[in-house]
Amino acid sequence: MKKKISLLLLITQLSFAQNNLNCKKAADNNRIVAAGGSVTEILYLLEQSKKIVAADVTSVYPKEVKHLPSIGYVRNLSSEGILSVSPTLILGEDDMGPPNVIDQLNNLSVDVRIIKEIQNSNGILEKIECISNIVNVKKENKRIITDSIVPAIISLNEIKSKNETLGKRVMLILSMKGTSPIIAGNNTSGNSFIKMIGAKNIYESVEGWQAVSEESIINYNPDFIIIPQKDLHKNSNISSIKNNKIFAKTNAGKNNGFISDDGMAILGFGPRTIFSALKAAKIINQQ
Amino acid sequence: MKKKQLIIVNILIILLVFFLIISVSFGSFKIPILDYLSNNLSQLHKDVLLKIRFPRVILASIVGASLALSGACLQGLFRNPLADPGLIGVSSGAALGVALTIVLGSNYIPSFLSPYILPFSAIIGSAVVIFLLFYITKGFGLAGMTYMLLAGIAINSFAGVGIGFLTYISDDSELRSLTFWTMGSFGGSRWDLILPAIIIILITIIWSLKVSKKLDLIQLGEAEARRIGVDIKKLKFDVIISSAIIVGVSVSLAGMIGFIGLIVPHLMRMLGGVNHQYLLRASIFSGALIMIISDLISRTIISPAELPVGLITSAIGSPFFLWLIFKIRKT
Repeated sequence: MKKKISLLLLITQLSFAQNNLNCKKAADNNRIVAAGGSVTEILYLLEQSKKIVAADVTSVYPKEVKHLPSIGYVRNLSSEGILSVSPTLILGEDDMGPPNVIDQLNNLSVDVRIIKEIQNSNGILEKIECISNIVNVKKENKRIITDSIVPAIISLNEIKSKNETLGKRVMLILSMKGTSPIIAGNNTSGNSFIKMIGAKNIYESVEGWQAVSEESIINYNPDFIIIPQKDLHKNSNISSIKNNKIFAKTNAGKNNGFISDDGMAILGFGPRTIFSALKAAKIINQQ
Repeated sequence: MKKKQLIIVNILIILLVFFLIISVSFGSFKIPILDYLSNNLSQLHKDVLLKIRFPRVILASIVGASLALSGACLQGLFRNPLADPGLIGVSSGAALGVALTIVLGSNYIPSFLSPYILPFSAIIGSAVVIFLLFYITKGFGLAGMTYMLLAGIAINSFAGVGIGFLTYISDDSELRSLTFWTMGSFGGSRWDLILPAIIIILITIIWSLKVSKKLDLIQLGEAEARRIGVDIKKLKFDVIISSAIIVGVSVSLAGMIGFIGLIVPHLMRMLGGVNHQYLLRASIFSGALIMIISDLISRTIISPAELPVGLITSAIGSPFFLWLIFKIRKT
């Protein structure tokens, strides 16, 4: 019963997306340019992949995306490049840019939609709903949302509130810069991920992605360390962190509290982020 | 100008016109250019051609011309083959202005102003540097070019500190904008933005062409030139102010683009000779030529994506420069 109520609550929240002008149905959605990893991921989830004519370089999941023409990096697009694939609709992450290129595209009356990003589970749900409105796939969408996404969010939220009472201390390492790690501070997607799983970011007082000293890691003593992996150097990051003497001295090192997943799954705030968070939240809850 | 030099300049003009046409005809978007002439294009084709590609090619040629001209003038003035617009700190001043705006100002600027704010802050940045140079060298009057070069180096490294600090405190997206800006690009050019710049740059180019005779004389040495009757202080003023204006405006619209200011004058000297009447004109046309070719490569090589044009010019420029050093050592 409780589950059904929260399911209803979640679905009513989505009326926001339907009322939003930016999310209204596109006139023509047959040739879509997807700029941004989560946007592409959602289009695949909604089984609209055949309509994608080009994607940006942050679109790495699923693997088939790599066969599409690349329009470059989502924050540094080129107007002529995008137009050359004659799109009828451009769907972009909210960091799509640069602004003057977006202006140019708008001035040429191309349908450009920038999808708002709120970095929590409901935000992801809103993204999915918004995109499904734009590309007009309501029926399948409802099935996907009610069958997989919503139940996942509900169990994530349950574990999250349990985790919040445990008060586990977590850090998220983007990469190693020499011996000092670049970590997720306040106002980063990494921090939002840590919040999603109900843990406490030991570096919340730091602003943005920053390099921190080894001493401070021992001092703050994290219980868990989250490591987003990159395609290119998949294992080097994790093994270098696990074998690092500094990390071995922390609780995480003593109890093997290393959580790793694909980088875009953790930080992309697409559908996969919900499942990645669920996995991480369970690990934290068990130990 | 000698006959040979005249021929070189004319060939450069013909090549420039040829590549302007090539550059407008090719891009990631296929546009049948013959259809344009017979007015057979769709609205989208026309828009891409006239609103996106054409302003871009024009901007590239103007920026290439100004960087090369300013390099030639400064090398002449300082009698130093390594002088380029970056050397007296003007580019880094502009970069610092842009970095300040990207990192600190982005939240306070009303959106209708945003297309103009980066060019404007770059111009303010380079203007501050010129003012500093002017002040430090007491109106460019203080004897010795070395003095001014050293002042330029100091200003450069000071601006570097500022940019480094701003990079450090910038957030993820600010850092990206900053990085891409420093690699240079002609993407997103719009007529309303580039027209004022084109007018300013053209006027300044004509102004700086007048100094070519005096630049020849100063090669004899500052004291000698003064004895012949060159007003050194005015010459310095003319060259530096005009360089600062064209570089400030160019950098503001296209970001940092390396090596054109340095290599183009050298190339032209090797081809045709050292007198500035020839050198300045040849540098203008070949600078424009090299820049539109680089831009053409940048927007077609990995189409539909795009490489920053600064990467292309430096990729062509650096090996050439090494070869130049090697050749000078041999002779």
